[in-house]
Amino acid sequence: MTDKINIQNVAKLAAIKLTNEEEQKLEKDLSMIIDHFAALSDMELPDGNISIHPLGLPLNLAEDTAFKFLSHEEALSNAPESKDGQFVVPPSLD
Amino acid sequence: MNIVPTIGMETHVELKTNSKMFCRCHVLDTDNPNESLCPTCLGLPGSLPVPNKKAIEFITLLALSTNCSITSDGMFHRKNYFYPDLPKNYQISQFDLPVGTEGSLEIVVDGNFSTVEIERVHMEEDTGKSTHIGSGRIDSATSTHLDFNRAGIPLVEVVTKPLIKSSKEAVSYIEELRQLVIDLDISEGRLEKGNLRFDANISVAFQGDKELGTKVEIKNMNSLKSLEKAIEYEIARQSKMLENKEDIIQETRHWDEKKEVTTSMRSKEGSADYRYFSDPDIPNMILNEEFVAQIRNNMPVLPSQKRKIFIDSGLSIEDANNLGKSATWIGDLYNSVSTITEDSKTSFNWITGELQGQLRKLEKNSLPTWLTPENLSSIIKLVKDNKVSFTSGKEILAKLIEEDINPEEFAISNKLIQENDIDEISKLVKEVIQDNKEVLERIVNGEEKLIGFLVGQIIKLSGGKVNPSVAKELLLKEIN
Amino acid sequence: MTNYKLSISKINELFKNKDLKPSELYDEVFERAASTESIIHGHLTLFQDENIKKAIDSDKRYADGEELGVLDGIPIAIKDNINISGHATTCSSKMLSNYISPYDATVISRLKKQGTLFTGKTNLDEFAMGSSTENSAYGPTKNPWDPSRVPGGSSGGSAAVVSAGSAIASLGSDTGGSIRQPASFCGVVGFKPTYGTVSRYGLVAFASSLDQIGPITNNVEDAKLIFNSMKGQDPLDATSIKETNVPQPKTENAKIGIIKELMEDGISEDAKLEVHKVAKLLESQGHEIVEVSLPITKMSISIYYLIAPAECSANLSRFDGVRYGNRISGSTSYEMMEATRAAGFGSEVKKRILLGTYALSAGYYDAYYGQALKARAMMKKEFTSVYKDVDYLISPTTPSDPFKFGEKSDNQLEMYMSDLCTIPANLVGMPAISIPTGLSSNGLPLSVQIMSPANTDNTLLDFSQSLEEIVSFSEVPSMIGDKK
Repeated sequence: MTDKINIQNVAKLAAIKLTNEEEQKLEKDLSMIIDHFAALSDMELPDGNISIHPLGLPLNLAEDTAFKFLSHEEALSNAPESKDGQFVVPPSLD
Repeated sequence: MNIVPTIGMETHVELKTNSKMFCRCHVLDTDNPNESLCPTCLGLPGSLPVPNKKAIEFITLLALSTNCSITSDGMFHRKNYFYPDLPKNYQISQFDLPVGTEGSLEIVVDGNFSTVEIERVHMEEDTGKSTHIGSGRIDSATSTHLDFNRAGIPLVEVVTKPLIKSSKEAVSYIEELRQLVIDLDISEGRLEKGNLRFDANISVAFQGDKELGTKVEIKNMNSLKSLEKAIEYEIARQSKMLENKEDIIQETRHWDEKKEVTTSMRSKEGSADYRYFSDPDIPNMILNEEFVAQIRNNMPVLPSQKRKIFIDSGLSIEDANNLGKSATWIGDLYNSVSTITEDSKTSFNWITGELQGQLRKLEKNSLPTWLTPENLSSIIKLVKDNKVSFTSGKEILAKLIEEDINPEEFAISNKLIQENDIDEISKLVKEVIQDNKEVLERIVNGEEKLIGFLVGQIIKLSGGKVNPSVAKELLLKEIN
Repeated sequence: MTNYKLSISKINELFKNKDLKPSELYDEVFERAASTESIIHGHLTLFQDENIKKAIDSDKRYADGEELGVLDGIPIAIKDNINISGHATTCSSKMLSNYISPYDATVISRLKKQGTLFTGKTNLDEFAMGSSTENSAYGPTKNPWDPSRVPGGSSGGSAAVVSAGSAIASLGSDTGGSIRQPASFCGVVGFKPTYGTVSRYGLVAFASSLDQIGPITNNVEDAKLIFNSMKGQDPLDATSIKETNVPQPKTENAKIGIIKELMEDGISEDAKLEVHKVAKLLESQGHEIVEVSLPITKMSISIYYLIAPAECSANLSRFDGVRYGNRISGSTSYEMMEATRAAGFGSEVKKRILLGTYALSAGYYDAYYGQALKARAMMKKEFTSVYKDVDYLISPTTPSDPFKFGEKSDNQLEMYMSDLCTIPANLVGMPAISIPTGLSSNGLPLSVQIMSPANTDNTLLDFSQSLEEIVSFSEVPSMIGDKK
């Protein structure tokens, strides 16, 4: 049995506000899933360079040519709130 | 007990590529918000990052020029945290496989060489810009406005080892790094434009302590002056606490430019959990030997190399360092002029003193095209050879800045050439002595002040052409 | 007239011979949608108005002999996690109910260039997370074979509309089986290409190293046509690849391996029988059937449910109400984001985000995510090794026939087990196709899955087409009426 999952901590990291009910259910559900992982966690697996691409292919870099994509209006078209051409949000603490 | 400060610097360098790091939007310098955006840098659903080749070349150049080892099989990582100016709420950065590691940078502090050890050089993307709107105080904003033009611009982060020992060293380091990125032509390097941004990590400990003290991160220093002041303030603050056995909290503090103090930011103790993992949208970045060799072979002249050339030509370390940090044309002019005149110190003084001074007064920051090393050298030579006085030299220079003249011809036609002929001057000396017998008496009796008067008479008699120091010398000879 | 169940090449022939016009076909398809949508709820939106005009343009092109290709005038349904400019991309989530996309996914712009029509956007499990389409914030899609049963997921809508005939074909996305499993449940063909052969630019990311766009069609030939129309390296997707030359598997006298571990517990007898039936048919064609063992496939669910949630936890971070999305206000921006995400995401999405966040957090990375990556690398080794001995692998597509609504929604692990057979192909990045082969004892469609090595997509499709011929599955849901 794994350590108790600190669901509040995880929710804070994921920026999702949970109700008490949700917290309880999720803690239960996630614990069950994590327990299921035990067999995998306990496996002895070889180390080695993990390739990001499933087929192990290298990265193709892009040339440094610039072009315009979205117009100013398109960029703001889905903004829940905007003013003077900027997106507006409640104050963020620094 | 002596308290020893330890400083580590984290610097972000904005690269001057045409397009952003992970998309092909223009890197724009504009006041119009949200003008240069695409699904990728705006973090729209379904967008993907594609790294900029030029940015990778630039960071490799920087890593090589700071003697770093290049990671041949590296990758990008996602640094996860939520903040409104971060479009995806993760920043694509590099975690344990940065482009460059274990490097060093030669700097000059108080006229002496020193080395700053560099821990890592890595690639990442910039965030958007937040403007807090409200009553004016930091903590009472009513809303935040966001402009994402800057989001996605390529940044190189350079992290030093925590081995810097003073604010002076930190400042010299930043100056050197700035000059380096300018000389490599990878960044504009303008602090006031945010091309170079830095944070300082500061801790203090008693001398002899094996471990470093708790480190505090200081942000919001926007100039070298504030960097220096902030470091000094923070060292003092921590030292006092250390002496009083108070616990120093590991935190991020904000430099308040107006009050000249560091203040605690929101209570965020300890380090954040960024949950770094390799970005599955970007395959491994292979920087093979061929690629690295090509970058190395095309490396421009580095500030340290320029400095060495200046020192080898006869300048002091301090002078050489300052010259290297001036505009390129000044250094180039110095190299040419000092070669022609074969006098490094005099050339240096004329260029950095008189020439720059005069140009500054006229609000010019570049040389007129006709002001060549040859022209300037001939003025310097005229003064050096005592053919014209220093004052006359300045006059000729002023004219040369104004229009294309031949300094020697100008000196002649404007009667600036000094009389240096000993015989000629002796004649004048004898004549003045003859006409001023009373004064001579008084000098012989101790009134040495009056020597100046007689020299003045000699100059007058010569119509201003006589070399004053020669005249004085001959006069004294005659008197004795 | 059931032109909506014809193959694309047959329709194209009719267009070219002037026996049918694109606008006529479109009317038929739209009418079909009008009469079936109230039952199956496959589409979330229909692009009626603009399609009328586009179909007429297509008419003209065929009349002038200037058609843009075989897909010109063909109405295809698009899963609502693929961006089409000017239209909503909701991902079946409340979070994006008001989001209008300002750009086209690469596959969409490629299909547009060929004159393809888009019927509209189809329903899915929210953000592609699920195996039944019960997780849609806009109500589930019903299986055309039996509306009390799920169509599968997450591309349930895309599979259902093809099955019902309200689109000639559709695009889905597949992360752990989300094309193949619903295709199987709806008795149609579903194809997941080699990772990287089809651009992901414009597909709302769930798990970046697993997602692929692919076709859901009435037959294998259609799947091949659509795949080849979309594939190819895209400068906007760093994980997309060029066509790579590798040794191709045989299409005659091939050696086919039945995966032992996918014929054991958790697989229904009906599903196993289907594989054996197909194996016999293949043998009668001169192919060789062997049993192969891939022990690590037993770990598939664990590996997948660590990698996918970890990647999705970061991929879904961008949904915060700042630049788009249904914002719920807050006194600080963090509170606003917290509340927006709480209201915008359904419970399955929240669960996976939190699971992924946990797996990546300090102290747990090595035991979970790090371990899953290593296991994945090992799986790749096993598959590569097995393909030295066999040309193709065969397994059931799903452990059972379509289940009833609510049957698995309370048992998360059982629901996750639906993906047992399909997950391996995503983990190793190799192509896989599901073909309907028979009916279960409940009279519901069953399929088998064929897999092949990376970059052998067209060979796999050719082989599957010949299998399709000998299987000769011609059942259609009773709502269609006549058999094909």
